[in-house]
Parts: sequence; C-alpha cells; structure tokens
Amino acid sequence: MAAKKLRRAKLPQELCERLSRHQITTCQDFLCLSLLELMKVTGQSYSNVQKLLCKVSLACAPKMQTAYEMKVRRTVNPSSAFLSTSLHCLDKVLHGGVPCGSLTEITSPPGCGKTQFCIMMSVLATLPISMGGLDGAVIYIDTESAFSAERLVEIAESRFPAYFDSDEKLFSMTRSIHLYRELTCGSVLKRIKSLEEEIISKKVKLIIIDSVASVVRKEFDPKLQGNLTERSNFLAKGASLLKYLAEEFSIPV
Amino acid sequence: MQRDVGTLPLAPALRARLAAAGFQTAQELLDTGPCGLSTEVGISKEEALEVLQVVRQECPGEAPRAAAVSRRCTALELLEQEQGQGFIITFCSALDGILGGGVQLTKITEICGAPGVGKTQLCMQLAVDVQIPECFGGLAGEAVFIDTEGSFMVDRVADIAAACVQHCQLIAEAHQEEDYLKALETFSLESILSHIYYFRCRDYIELLAQVYLLPDFLSEHSKVRLVVIDGIAFPFRHDFEDLSLRTRLLNGLAQQLIIMANDHKAAVVLTNQMTTRIGQNHSTLVPALGESWGHAATVRLIFHWDNNQRLATLYKSPSQKESTIPYNVTPHGFRDVQPPAVTQNPDGTEMNPRKRPRREEEK
Repeated sequence: MAAKKLRRAKLPQELCERLSRHQITTCQDFLCLSLLELMKVTGQSYSNVQKLLCKVSLACAPKMQTAYEMKVRRTVNPSSAFLSTSLHCLDKVLHGGVPCGSLTEITSPPGCGKTQFCIMMSVLATLPISMGGLDGAVIYIDTESAFSAERLVEIAESRFPAYFDSDEKLFSMTRSIHLYRELTCGSVLKRIKSLEEEIISKKVKLIIIDSVASVVRKEFDPKLQGNLTERSNFLAKGASLLKYLAEEFSIPV
Repeated sequence: MQRDVGTLPLAPALRARLAAAGFQTAQELLDTGPCGLSTEVGISKEEALEVLQVVRQECPGEAPRAAAVSRRCTALELLEQEQGQGFIITFCSALDGILGGGVQLTKITEICGAPGVGKTQLCMQLAVDVQIPECFGGLAGEAVFIDTEGSFMVDRVADIAAACVQHCQLIAEAHQEEDYLKALETFSLESILSHIYYFRCRDYIELLAQVYLLPDFLSEHSKVRLVVIDGIAFPFRHDFEDLSLRTRLLNGLAQQLIIMANDHKAAVVLTNQMTTRIGQNHSTLVPALGESWGHAATVRLIFHWDNNQRLATLYKSPSQKESTIPYNVTPHGFRDVQPPAVTQNPDGTEMNPRKRPRREEEK
C-alpha cells in the first residue's frame, strides 16, 4: 500500500511528473513530507495541498469496518475461525483451538514436544473439514532440520487409523505438506516474502515456522553492540509479514 | 495589515511573482484591486481574485477575528468546561480513582507495558465503556479503533460488551426507572459492536494516511468520543533507517491527535511498547519510541507485573498524583482485584455512577 505510485492515486498527470522530478513517486514519499515542503514541491497553495493530502491519504488508508460486521462474518463461518488441536482441554483453554488469522507462538524448554506438536498440527490441517481439519496444504519452514517424514506418517496412522487406511490417502496427505529447509535469517525472510503466491497457488491453510529462535540465536550474538537492533529489525519485519499473510488469507500461523 | 507578502499561504511561484513586482505588504495587495493586480503581476483576473480572497481571510483587519482562529478563553470558562466533562470509566474503580474519574476527554492518554500485560484488553474495555448510556453515567458515544498489531479479537469484545450490558441490566432492575429501561433497549450487543469503527493499518504510511483522514471522519460521525490507536510503536520500530524522519513523523502525528482531541472533544488512547535501556551494569524497561515521544502524551500509564499481580502506575499526569494500583483481567473484562463491598443505595438519589454498587456476576 505504501509503495503505491502517485499516478494510481488519481493525481493529475503534470503534478505527478513535477513530483517525480523531485524523486517523489510513491505515496510513501508524499506523506513523509511536511506541509511546507509539499507546498514548495508542488507549487500549490495551502488549501490545495491539504486537498491533495486528503486524496493521497484516501488512496492509502485502510477500509473501515465495524466490529459488528467482523463478528457477523465470524459467526457465519465458524469453522474458519479456529483450527482445533484435537486435544480437548487445550481447545477449551484456547476458546476453540488455534485461531485463524493470527500468530500463535509455542515456546518451551528443549524436548517438551514443540516439533511433535507442529507435526501433528500439519496432519490435522490436511484433514477434511468434517473431521475438524482445514482441508488444505501446509507450509512447513524448518530451521533445525527436525522434521521427520516417517514420524509424520506414524502420527497420521496411529491417530486416525480409520481415515488413513489406504496408502493413497497417506500419499495425498504427505504431498500437501510442503517442507522448506532454511538455515539463515536472510533465507527465512526471503522465503516468507515469497509465500504469498504459493499460498494462493497451493491452497495453503497453515504455516508453521519451526523455529524462529534457533536461527536468530545462531546469527545474532546479543553481546555484540549493533546486533540487537538488527535482530529486532529482522524479527519485526518477519512478524509483520507473517501477520499480513495470516490476516489476508485467514489462516493460522 | 502590514503582513509581509512572503508569509501568505499562496503558491510559491505566485509569491515569487508578487515579490518581483514589488509588493511587500498585504495592504498593498488589497489597495491595488484584482484588475490592477492582474496587469501588474501578469496573472489572470481569476487568480488575482483568489489571491485577494486569501489575503482577506488571513488578515481581517478591523473585522473581529473569527472565533475558530483565536483559541483564547478565560481559565474560568475552562474550569466550567472541565467540570462538566465526562470521563470514560474503566470498570476498575482503583484505576478510575488514580486517573481522577476515568480516561479524560480532549487529552491523550498513553498506556505502556510489556507484552501480555493487558493494554489491548483495556483498550477494548474502553471502546465498550464509552458507549454506556448517559443515565448509567457513561458518555453514550462511539469509538474508533485503529489497530496496527492485529490483536483486536472480536469475540473478546463481544464478551466484554455482554458483561457490560448485563451489569447495566442489574442496575436497571435494582432501580426500576423508566429512562433506564428505555436506554437499555438501545444498549445491546449488536449496537455496541456496530458503533466500534475498526481500521487495520499494516504499516506507518497507512497509519499516517488514516490520521490525516480522521478529522473528516469525526466530523461525519460526531458522536465519536474515543479514538484508540493500539500499537503506535509497532509500525515505527522496524524498517526505519532514518531516525530523524521517525521523530518528525511522530511529532506531526502527536500534533494532529491533540488538535483532533480538542476539536471533537474526544479522548485519544495510545498503546506503546516497552524497550530495554541498557545502562552501566543493569538494564531497565522504558517506554519505546524515545524521550521526545514522552512529551506527546498528557497522561501516561505504565502497566507491569509484580510476581503474579498486574500493576498499573500513573507515571505522568498534570492533575493527579503518581500512584500504583493492582488490577485484574477477568473473563468479563478489566476489573478490580477484590470486589469492593456491595452496598445497596436505598434512597436512590445518589446516581453518581462512580459510587454505584458493583456486584460480581456469577461465572
């Protein structure tokens, strides 16, 4: 939204050309300047600049919705609100399961079962909606190389023996879980950026990143001075991208 | 009327031409008239007329100044205004107490705290509380919720709203008055939810754009009494190489919010994150966005943990004393720690909502 070009914001053509001579081409550049600077650059009067500002803001601003509309949307489609974890008590505490459309973080000391939980959630997401799943593909970004496909099949078979009775069903389930092994922060960020198209093409319904901390700790030594800001920059960028994906497609992350 | 031509809000090219033609003060422009202006400066007659209109607007001269231009009024008028002003209660009487009655209108209140301590909960509670009808002691207003972090959960707001409606129903049943029951008809879950206007801003440009458009929105929806920006720090903390630009944008934002709060008599509530300041051999948690941002908010609340108890500290306020109180976040929303003593008001004359009996609903 910020990188929207000014001419698509319905500003007149000569104005856009004039602004581009001052290296102002996107809405972001326009809104970052103060009123006086804008007057100087556009050569317009005060009230005109305010009107232009409103026009550009309208092009960038988010749409309004009332809380009531959001609630109605959620009640109309209750299955799309949560992904049940199939653990009854956990679902009760979480008010229905892992929420769709927002980030959920699982933390614990090593060996408690985070990766096992992630593997189980991947199986659950591929199940059809009638069985409490999301009937979609899963993107699994693995930074610790802890994902074991055999364990995945084992979980699927012992947990839902009635459903996975044939090899064919197992194959289709494993085919819909896309695994990406990333070992550096940079590659994780690049992968997250490329996810948008993949989500649409493969009909992904769940994104799992296992785990964020391991790759960040490997690369950023907190004792070095500049690293803290770089690390928080990376984390914040990754978090906002993931939030955008989660909300845009209404999927749990 | 001796105002310099260079200070008028005209297009820079026009100003340059006027200066080149030798005009120095606004009075000279007015004396020349539009036709003379157009021949001397070489602009069209319509442009000359526009220039004169701008001049007249800016320098009325003998005419009395427009009320909107001068914000001068006596302290007595301000006192009367402030006393008549309502507060937005938080449903936690201790917090209302240290704030002097609740969240004040026309002021910016900033809530800082570590993640998970209850900032968004309080914001959601306030968005519901601002809509309480006047007979129950509320403001009967509407709320604008600008979300930058995506932490607005509709189901949670529905729970809080249901608890609030139930609370008001209990009061109405106890007192059995006509206007209470009438107000309750309009104060329902659907109406509460449909008067919370929600905007989801993904980055700082969308936030800036939205704040530019807010004054027009508030003029259209004149009943809005609360603007919540949940997460003002989040879009500004990452992806910003130029710190001076960030400070400038934040200051501009603060200015616009103050103007908006004053013009529309609305309360502005912002939530901020905490950052670690690394000292000599220890580190402390301080509110994010730097020292200069600390001057933007009028009232500052800091939420923090102490073992398992959540505490709220009033860190900065022009009229109240600095103090700390505990609070709780219950399934019904933001509440006190212990239920205060339940006392009935038999005479019914005391309708002051801050002293009305609070009953703990059975879970």
